[in-house]
Amino acid sequence: MKIPDAPMEERPHAGLLLQRVREIAAGKLAPLTEKIDREGYYPREVLQALGAAGAYRVQMAAPRGNADYAAAIQAMAEVSSVCMSTGFMMWCQNACSLYIEQSGNAALIERRLDCHINGDTLGGTGMSNPMKTFAGIETLLLQGRPVHGGYVVNGTLPWVSNIGPGHYLGAVCEIDNDPSRHVMFLLDCSAPGVTLKHCPTFSGMEGTSTLSVRATNLFVSEAEVIADPVAPYIRRIKGAFILQQTGMALGVVQGAIDSMWAVEQQLGHVNRFLDNRPDDLQCELDDLKQRILRLAATPFESDGEYFLDVLDARAHCGELSLRATQSALLHQGARGYLMNAAPQRRIREAHFVAIVTPAIKHLRKEIARLSAQELPA
Amino acid sequence: MSAAAFRQFICRACGYIYDEALGDPDGGLAPGTRFDDIPDDWMCPTCGVGKGDFEPLIVASIARTAQAAPPIAARHAPPPVVIVGGGIAGWAVANAVRATDAARPLVMVSGCTACVYPKPLLSVALAQGHTAVSVVSESGDSAARRLNLRLLHGTWVSGIDAARRRVRTTRGDIAYGQLVLALGASPAPLPLDAESNRHLWRINHLDHYARFRAAVGDTPKHVAIIGAGLVGCELADDLAGAGHRVTLLDAAPQPLPGLAAPDIAHSFVQELAASGVRFIGAARVLSVRKASAGVDVDLGNETLHADLVLAATGLRTEARLARTAGLAFNNGYAVDPRTLRTSDASIYALGDCASFGGKTCRFIEPIHRQALVIAAALSQQPSPGFAIVDVPVRLKSRSMPMTFSLAA
Repeated sequence: MKIPDAPMEERPHAGLLLQRVREIAAGKLAPLTEKIDREGYYPREVLQALGAAGAYRVQMAAPRGNADYAAAIQAMAEVSSVCMSTGFMMWCQNACSLYIEQSGNAALIERRLDCHINGDTLGGTGMSNPMKTFAGIETLLLQGRPVHGGYVVNGTLPWVSNIGPGHYLGAVCEIDNDPSRHVMFLLDCSAPGVTLKHCPTFSGMEGTSTLSVRATNLFVSEAEVIADPVAPYIRRIKGAFILQQTGMALGVVQGAIDSMWAVEQQLGHVNRFLDNRPDDLQCELDDLKQRILRLAATPFESDGEYFLDVLDARAHCGELSLRATQSALLHQGARGYLMNAAPQRRIREAHFVAIVTPAIKHLRKEIARLSAQELPA
Repeated sequence: MSAAAFRQFICRACGYIYDEALGDPDGGLAPGTRFDDIPDDWMCPTCGVGKGDFEPLIVASIARTAQAAPPIAARHAPPPVVIVGGGIAGWAVANAVRATDAARPLVMVSGCTACVYPKPLLSVALAQGHTAVSVVSESGDSAARRLNLRLLHGTWVSGIDAARRRVRTTRGDIAYGQLVLALGASPAPLPLDAESNRHLWRINHLDHYARFRAAVGDTPKHVAIIGAGLVGCELADDLAGAGHRVTLLDAAPQPLPGLAAPDIAHSFVQELAASGVRFIGAARVLSVRKASAGVDVDLGNETLHADLVLAATGLRTEARLARTAGLAFNNGYAVDPRTLRTSDASIYALGDCASFGGKTCRFIEPIHRQALVIAAALSQQPSPGFAIVDVPVRLKSRSMPMTFSLAA
């Protein structure tokens, strides 16, 4: 797969990174794909190799990285075209580095950021529940109360990915049961008071190490605080947070198109009776990719129109993933329906793109809310 | 002895590829097993057919730039004319198209309920005792049935994919044959901070009127109106007529700047005062802040306390959708006045969102003429063409109605 188009000659770091990432995806990762998807194998060595290749560092501001969100998304796409579970975990890792970098908390950055972006340590994001809370869809699941030097936190987050003993995640708790007071912090999975529990089996993407996190009188020190207050912080990072996810879709759609071309020689004579042919899908994907890479040039833009563009691109990613992977299975027929075939796996991966926070329905609800004229309450 | 290159064979039944280099270890064939050496009782590992159902795989390179085999004829009906916007302009186009073509599939996408109502009434409705229900002449659903049109209300357009002729909406993609943009215009934010803008009421829509009317309530209030153009003056007159105290503000020294001559404006200020409207000219609003009850409007030299603040400072058309479609935009969707086509041959625009060489034409009268032009273009009839002509504009004031001529 190839994701070209961005002016690579101006970004030699990106060309080099994508070359390394492609090698890891085709080498280490490709043989593990089925094991990751169905048997719950957690590809720690692949995630760490991607870190060593610079896939997490590239989006960081200088001097740590190149502040190149487009390259981070492209790297995620390269990996997702082979195994979207791993692409999703790159997003978890990148979202977590975004949280730490943008926290402005010197102690936290000093202690966590460099080993994180090298891939020496790994982390996830427990922000699905807070994001939905701020959009008026859920209520916060973690409760905190201030104590000397920090907070004591209780509650359970279901379904947090890319975590395990020694990992950590970004999380938000409500303070003193006051729905207007929140603190965002880095939750250390190995801290006393934290219990990790396996979730029931999912229909795919089992190797994403998706666990529930229970906090019982967990002490969170001020050195682990990411944001207080949380609302302005979320406003600043939400565009970047959502835009980064598009890498998963760009990859899974490209993988689907590739699998259509793989059978074109033998099956083109019947596949021409199908909707959504690979050449049409490729044009649509290329246009969407261009939109995304342009948006990725200014991930912290605060303009309302920019955020609508991000939401629309992210929704398009979900819709196109569903359409392309569905069509790829129809193109391949029975061979794509085999349990070890990529097309049926990609359909389940595409469903994940469509339902992971923000899901297509959340995105559309938010677009509708932002499109209406705001009047005094 | 030099080994021949390994070959690949494809199962005609299921597409499984037997690669001599890899063999089929699970089926007892070591890597390197030549196809000819495979025993006859060997079975395809995925579908179970025998060796005889395999053929050599000849990989022709299919260039990615080439097209896939051309699709068989589309099974779908020709895509509809999609109208975006359920205001006066949207309905005008729907009526005009239906008048020339009874069968053409029509879809209307509207963020609101697309009720049919005379919008100019909104600035004079309070004194007449109108509710948001009583101004409606026909519900959107009823008009949709009458015109055999599919109405998607409560649906917002988030993007236009002009290359694939699809509008992206909050209820999924909709394919169009032709797209008509009747998007209207929305109140421009004032050059104040975000908090000030959050306290400003606007009446540009039936729903805004309903919410404003509920907020004003049944007891007399003090309402500050920012902007003393036509709409601001009408609203001031209307609120005063409904028994409210009104302060009318404008950055210009007189009301109706650019429309009324100073002596007429002077008489108008006196008429306003007699009906309970205080006019403050050359006013500069610095901020609007929530007070213990109502809001404080900081004018620098005085702080005006009001129950509600209404902004009537003009409209603008948002460029975002034009950008998503790559359409020419110049203060509005740039259209050819002969056809009302935008820079994309399949996309038309009319009403408040259209622009003619950078000029907008945000009045009711031209909309019906524009709708006829679009209906003619869609049915490939000779176009009557559209020109901006001098339009008389009436100030609907109870005490001092006036008519102005707006030069083209």
